[in-house]
Amino acid sequence: MKRLFVLTFLISLATACFSQDWIRTGTGLGQEKIRIAVPDFKVSQGNPADLQKTFNDTLFSDLESAGIFEVVSKSFYPLQVPGSPQEMKLDAWGNPPPNAAMVAFGNLGTDNQNNLAVFGWLFDTRNTGSPQVLGKQYRKPATPDSAREIAHEFANEIIFRLGGGISGITQSKIYFISSRTGHKEVWAMDYDGANQHQVTRVGSIALSPRVSPDGSRVAFSGLASGGWNIMMWSNELNRAVRFPSLGGTNLSPAWSSDGTSIAFSSSRNGDPEIYVVDPNGNGLRRVTAYRGPDVSPVWNPKTNAQIAWVSGRTGLPQIYTMQADGTNVQRMTDQGYAVSPAWSPNGQFLAFAWIRHYGPGAPGAQDIYVMDITTRQFVQLTHNGRRNDFPSWSPDGRHIVFQADDQIWTMLADGTGQRQLTFAGKNSQPNWSFK
Amino acid sequence: MAVSADIYTERDQFSKPVAVSIGLHVALFGSILLYATVMGRFRGEDWGGTGGGGGAMSATLVSSIPLPASPESTNILANESKGVSQSLPKAEEVPEPTAVPIPAPDAKKLDRTTRSTRQDRKPAQPVQTATNVIPFGQGGPISGPYGTFSAGGAKGGFGFNGGGGDFGSRYGWYVDVVRRKVSENWLKYEVDPNIRDARRVYITFEISRAGQPRNITIEQSSGVPSLDQSAVRALQRIDTFGPLPGDYHGSSVNVEFWFDYRR
Repeated sequence: MKRLFVLTFLISLATACFSQDWIRTGTGLGQEKIRIAVPDFKVSQGNPADLQKTFNDTLFSDLESAGIFEVVSKSFYPLQVPGSPQEMKLDAWGNPPPNAAMVAFGNLGTDNQNNLAVFGWLFDTRNTGSPQVLGKQYRKPATPDSAREIAHEFANEIIFRLGGGISGITQSKIYFISSRTGHKEVWAMDYDGANQHQVTRVGSIALSPRVSPDGSRVAFSGLASGGWNIMMWSNELNRAVRFPSLGGTNLSPAWSSDGTSIAFSSSRNGDPEIYVVDPNGNGLRRVTAYRGPDVSPVWNPKTNAQIAWVSGRTGLPQIYTMQADGTNVQRMTDQGYAVSPAWSPNGQFLAFAWIRHYGPGAPGAQDIYVMDITTRQFVQLTHNGRRNDFPSWSPDGRHIVFQADDQIWTMLADGTGQRQLTFAGKNSQPNWSFK
Repeated sequence: MAVSADIYTERDQFSKPVAVSIGLHVALFGSILLYATVMGRFRGEDWGGTGGGGGAMSATLVSSIPLPASPESTNILANESKGVSQSLPKAEEVPEPTAVPIPAPDAKKLDRTTRSTRQDRKPAQPVQTATNVIPFGQGGPISGPYGTFSAGGAKGGFGFNGGGGDFGSRYGWYVDVVRRKVSENWLKYEVDPNIRDARRVYITFEISRAGQPRNITIEQSSGVPSLDQSAVRALQRIDTFGPLPGDYHGSSVNVEFWFDYRR
């Protein structure tokens, strides 16, 4: 009898192991954005009124700017806002007026040790059986910064889950050049424009900052006594670290996404050409060899096997691509004045600034374009009549940061959701961190 | 004799320059032809889509930028706000107020008559907006490059099979993620442009615990090799769907995904 029992148990275990879940789905079922409701988090204990507002505002704006959600306007929400799963009424949220597919809700409170504790949930309103998609708990010192940080983390978690395994960008940074202190120095800010702070203190002129893939260093071109040189700033040591002086004018460094190489343009042999070095400045090798300036290299971050850059070999600057060893040169733009290429994280697109009709009698604005590399079809993203330049992709490939006149803006990679990030002083040349 | 011999020698001297001249001419024309063909090949490329040069902006890009498709994609005026021309609803004609006589002592009768005229009037019709009117604002959403597909009218859903699994009912959101992600990564331009309509192609694959698609196979071909290939490539292009839900105990999930193609 006992043996029989063991046998049946083993058989049932085996069938359980081999049982496979099947999903059947297909295209043409609509591709709408996910409608998500984000009611304000309730206070569970203590009196964190300021922190509550900071948290709620940050979470709402994070999800709104994620690009994959349609955040339901707060005016549609039911009067009774849930603070915990017990208080959640799926009917009230899943049906009109809110008609939300997802609800992110929770509560926060401060305890005696002055810690901020946040409980957050994400519920699927159409799934009454097991609605919970996410349940998270955070505890950090009760400061506005950590309230923002927790909101960012929770938003990231939601975006990661519902966005198909692509991490959110709420904890990424944007490096840029600002002359607020009188000198052009490298500055950094959060992805939403908050927390703007100075990074370098070089005291001369810094240009084209590029943060390393691990975020520990910032390469930029700085004006030193010997002319323009590639300089390296360590975020960990908070000072400039040694990078060899290579002679000539050295500009626009670019990290490969594996952090093993830096491409830049140098005129050490007279004509500006593209060179590649390792992050310590060793192993210099020249990649381009053609008369006419070659500047602004960027790596294909997916493969690190290709470089896009700007060349003036036919007159006006145009975007080209080549293999990292200099072979297979392809011209990407056919006309006008095209500069500042930026390669998308999935390797399929180039964003760049383009004056499509350039010259006397052809007044044209400089706008940001995105081009599919395989088909060379392009789409214009900005139409604001300003001078738009220096696009840079976010790590999730859904956003682009760029410079419009003297300020930094972001937008979704389809040109929508444009938002100004900087307002003080003159700011330029943004660069989005790798993560 | 000597004179004629001189003439012969002079003729001999001519033939060489003539041959050289003919040779040079042939070389010249040859090089012109070569130049034309070679340069024609370089110049003839169609940059940036339709018409190259000064034509209209190409906005038929198909992409895998991980953004959902824009709901309205027929508007070529690319701007986020809603439209250019303000199409106000047609002002409804206000009927002349019927002169209601001052209620007389026999007011009941009059009331009845006015009620009957009210019923004769048509109920207020909702204002119909013509489909070809550009909504008011400044343009409308940017069309493309995100119109991955528009297989209008196609029906579908997801079901489950084998093992009595309840993945789809418990994790409907994950199924949505899979559908959205595959749809975003299907590049319609990979399909033979001569194909207008094709049978549905079924692909099966497995999603590992970490969310990676694997064992991608064509379960039922559409009969159009380029369509089958584009469907397989859509899945190969995906690195991950995101890890399977944490409280799901299986090690993997099987997916049957169909692609409807209509140009």
